[in-house]
This record gives sequence, structure tokens and C-alpha cells, in this order.
Amino acid sequence: MAAAFRRSAARRLGGLLSWIGLVGAIAAAWQASLWFGVMTPELLPPIGEVLATAVSLLGRPAFLASVGVTLAEVLVAFAIAVPLGVALGFAISESSYWSAILKPIVFLIFSIPKTIFLPMFILAFGINFGQKVGFGVFSTIFIVLISSFSALDSVKSDHVRVARAYGASPWQIAWRVYMPAMAPILLEAVRLAMIFNLTGILLAEMYASRAGLGQLIASWGENYMLKELLAGILLIAAAAILFNEAVRWFEARCEHWRS
Amino acid sequence: MSTMARGTTAGSPASASAVPRSEAKAPLRIVASAPGAVSVAGVSHTYDVSGRVTKALDEIDLAIAPGRFVVIVGPSGCGKSSLLMMMTGLTKPTAGTIVCGGRPMTEPDPDVVGVVFQEASLYPWLTAQDNVEFPLSLRRVPKAERAARAREKLALVGLQGFEDRYPHELSGGMKQRVSIARGLVQNPSILMLDEPFAALDEQTRITMGDELLRIWAETGKTVVFVTHSLSEAAYLADEIVVMSARPGRIIDRIEVALPRPRTYEMMSTPHFAELRERIWRQIRHQVSEG
Ligand SMILES: Nc1ncnc2c1ncn2[C@@H]1O[C@H](COP(=O)(O)OP(=O)(O)OP(=O)(O)O)[C@@H](O)[C@H]1O
Ligand SMILES: [Mg+2]
Repeated sequence: MAAAFRRSAARRLGGLLSWIGLVGAIAAAWQASLWFGVMTPELLPPIGEVLATAVSLLGRPAFLASVGVTLAEVLVAFAIAVPLGVALGFAISESSYWSAILKPIVFLIFSIPKTIFLPMFILAFGINFGQKVGFGVFSTIFIVLISSFSALDSVKSDHVRVARAYGASPWQIAWRVYMPAMAPILLEAVRLAMIFNLTGILLAEMYASRAGLGQLIASWGENYMLKELLAGILLIAAAAILFNEAVRWFEARCEHWRS
Repeated sequence: MSTMARGTTAGSPASASAVPRSEAKAPLRIVASAPGAVSVAGVSHTYDVSGRVTKALDEIDLAIAPGRFVVIVGPSGCGKSSLLMMMTGLTKPTAGTIVCGGRPMTEPDPDVVGVVFQEASLYPWLTAQDNVEFPLSLRRVPKAERAARAREKLALVGLQGFEDRYPHELSGGMKQRVSIARGLVQNPSILMLDEPFAALDEQTRITMGDELLRIWAETGKTVVFVTHSLSEAAYLADEIVVMSARPGRIIDRIEVALPRPRTYEMMSTPHFAELRERIWRQIRHQVSEG
């Protein structure tokens, strides 16, 4: 097991190095394109200026207010979509009758790009917090449903039978067999859900909104404020990557047993 | 359709090769409630999955004396696993009663019966040690006692030093050793195994058979062992129970006269060949009939 830890530590160090390499390469390409005249500073401001703008944005109350709005929408939508999706997914899987009817429908809807429904959300809810959250939930819930179907499918009947043979109560079977077996897939669902959720809400803000990061990004773009635009993109990308990597780290801890 | 099947099989006399009822039932009186005794009386089972009816078992009577090594063989799909599931209390038979160690098996009782399934039944997210501790942890046995008992059983199956390995770090044979340790950890008087070595290569399979016989001799458990392999049946058993094709009935009970301890050389004796012959004749007969 010590060997396994050493191996995973080595893998993590390798991952970190490749990350640093990737960021360095992007920065180098960015600067090189300016030095060699491929890009002009009007099209692509120097990286140092963009980073300085990013830092100054973090000190601007107006920007922080937008972050607050978006963060609130994202968290509320996430807090609704993930538990609701998991609960519905389990409830549907539980009944073979509802599985047969609803699973194909879920898969059908999943294949439709959710963005085309955005105008309908505006018509139905107006342009406000609830509409953003609603669209976020709608963008997210299908991937959560599908993940919980496969999470339940991944529980081996042999594993349940063993627990029953050793006298486990239904509660113990849920916590000691279902949860650990499903954890990797459910954590992956959390990760994917956040990506779908962020995409949905930022799009809703960019399309029609009075507040939020998406609205800021859109207006910076329209007004040709490249430094702010790029700084905003960098900050949102960094936040999304950070969340994703944190969950992935947790996932790796939970699924070390998957050979 | 089920009533038709029931009517014909219940009405027809036992097939020519079957042991007469009275003889099959004879040991029942002797062993009824002793620890380690197994008694199956009049067990029939019909599966009904949303209207699709399958008659799996028909009037099974089987009495096993404490400490015996009994192997159940029969054509594929004849209901061996179903019978074992009922003997462990995991499934309720539609008719009949099962008593193990004096207790009716209306639900699983790990103090009486330990169970070993095929190789994939270990929890991959638990170490060997934690897998063996699992049945104890379900009953909130104190941590220190749990750890000591699991270590002791892992040592019994020859896995000292492998406590911290995860299943994917163990070979197929080692995984089944862990399963056996898990089956023994609550000290049941009976161990039931459903094709435990089916997924193993032949060499490992023979080694594991020897290991199981050693553990059986050391612990004195009653063992009920389901297999497809005629050689495995003849090599391991005190007694071989042969089942008919579905719906499963007991059509023969064969005493194995080979001395203990069994050795690999016995597989080339005439008696061993006769045993295999006798089982195969009946199973082949069943398969061609069905
Ligand atoms: N849960 C179930 N629901 C419906 N039918 C079942 C169920 N389990 C088993 N059966 C049916 O009952 C019959 C006996 O199955 P069982 O698994 O007990 O046979 P088996 O002798 O163990 O077979 P094998 O040798 O292939 O392991 C089969 O026809 C099977 O399809
Ligand atoms: Mg079977």
C-alpha cells in the first residue's frame, strides 16, 4: 500500500508539473505572438497587463457584486439540481415500470442542447434571479439523472447479497454497500453538474441580464474592453478549474480501489 | 403453465435412478437439531417474475449431518444456486422448511451459516482485513476484537501479511481465500459455497480445493459446496448430491469412499473414475431428456 501511495504521489507531482508546463506554454505563446507581431496589443494586451487588471478587478466593489450575484445563482441552482437529480434518478431506477417509461425520455432530452430553451425561460419567468436559477437547474439536472442511473447500475447484486447474508439492515446496505460503490460515479456527476450549471447560468446572464459575471463579460466584449474581458475570462476559468480539480482530487481518494 | 408443470411432476413417479424417498429421508431423524446439522424438508420453489413463472425446485429433501462435506452437482440452471440461497435464508422457498443448526432459516443468520460466493463478491473498496471484518462491523463488534478475529481468520486461510491489500491487488485464488475467511469470521457451524472456484484456473482450483479441505479438517464445519466440476465434486465430498434438470429434484446421493486426507493421486484411481462416471451418466441423461 505504501507503494501505491508513492505511485499516486508521483502521479500527482507529474500532474502538477504538466499543469505548470501548460500554463507556461500558453503564457509564452501569448507573449511570443506579441513580440513577433502576430498579434497587436490592441487585439491581445500583454499578459502582465491582463493579470494586473485581474488583480484590480478583485478590488472593485462593482465586480465583486457581480461575482456575488453569479455565485448565488450558481450555488442555489447547484443545491437544487444535484440532490433533486440524484433523488429522482434513484426513484425512477427503483421502479421498473417508471424506468421503462422515463429513462428513454431522460436520454432523449439530454441529447437536446439546452441553450435553445433559454428564450422560453425568459418568457415564462422574466429576467431575474429565479429565471437564472431555473435555467441552471434545467441545464444540469439531466446529466445528474443519467449519472445516478449508472451509479445505481454500478452496484453489484453480489455485493448486496453478501451484506444480506451477513445480516445487514437496509440502512446498513445503503451506507456500507451502495454509498461506497456509487461514490466515484456520483462525484463525477457533481463535477459534470458544475460544468453544465456554470455554462447555463453564464449563458443566461450573457443573453439577457441586469447583473452578474456573464452580463459583465458580454458588455466588456461589446465595448471592446479587452483587458477586462481577458481578465474576467482568466478569473472564471481559474475558479471553474479549481472546483473541478478539488472534486477530482476527492474522487481519486474515493476510487483508489478501482484498479 | 405452472400448475400444469406442478401437476405432471408431482404426479409422476421418481425417475429410475432416483434414490427411494424413505432412504433419502433416513438421516433426518438422527441430526435434526444439532449445531452444524442441515435439514431441508419438502422444499419447492417457483419464481414468478411479473407473470413469467419458473419452477426451479421440486420437493427437495436433504439432511446433512454435522461436520460433513456435501457437494451438490447438477445440470446448469437446475436450481443449485436457488437451493443454496434458501439454505442460507436469502430466499424464502414457496413451500417446505429449512432448518440449520436447529434454527429455521427464514432469514440469513450469520451465526449459523457463513456464505462464500464467486470471486467478485469481495468489496473492492475495502482491504482484505476490512472485508473480513465487514460481517463483524455490521453487528458493532468492538474494533479491537474485530481486528483480532479477522487477522486470525486471514492467517487460517494462509494470508498473513496480506491484510492491507485491496482485492485488485490479490490473485483470484487469494481473493477466494479472503472470501472464505469472511465466511468463517463469525464462527458459524456451517459454511455454504456457491461455485467458489469456478472462475479460477485449474491449478489454482486444485490448490484451493486442498486448502478448503485443510480448513474444513481444522475447523470441523459442515460444508455445503455447489460446483459444476465432476472432479471437484468427487475430490472434495463425503457425499455427492446429484440434482435433475429443472425443476431440480435430488436424483442421487453418492457416498464417496475415498480415504482422507485426499491426494491428487486419488484422481487416477478406479473408484474416482467410477464416481465421475456415475454422476456424468445421470447428468447427461438429464440434459438429453431436457
Ligand atoms: N431471481 C430469479 N428470478 C427468476 N428466475 C430465476 C431467479 N433465479 C434463478 N431463476 C431461474 O431458476 C432456475 C434455477 O436457477 P439457479 O441459478 O438456481 O440454477 P443453477 O443450478 O445455480 O444454475 P448454474 O449452474 O447455471 O449456476 C433457472 O431457470 C433460472 O433462470
Ligand atoms: Mg448457480
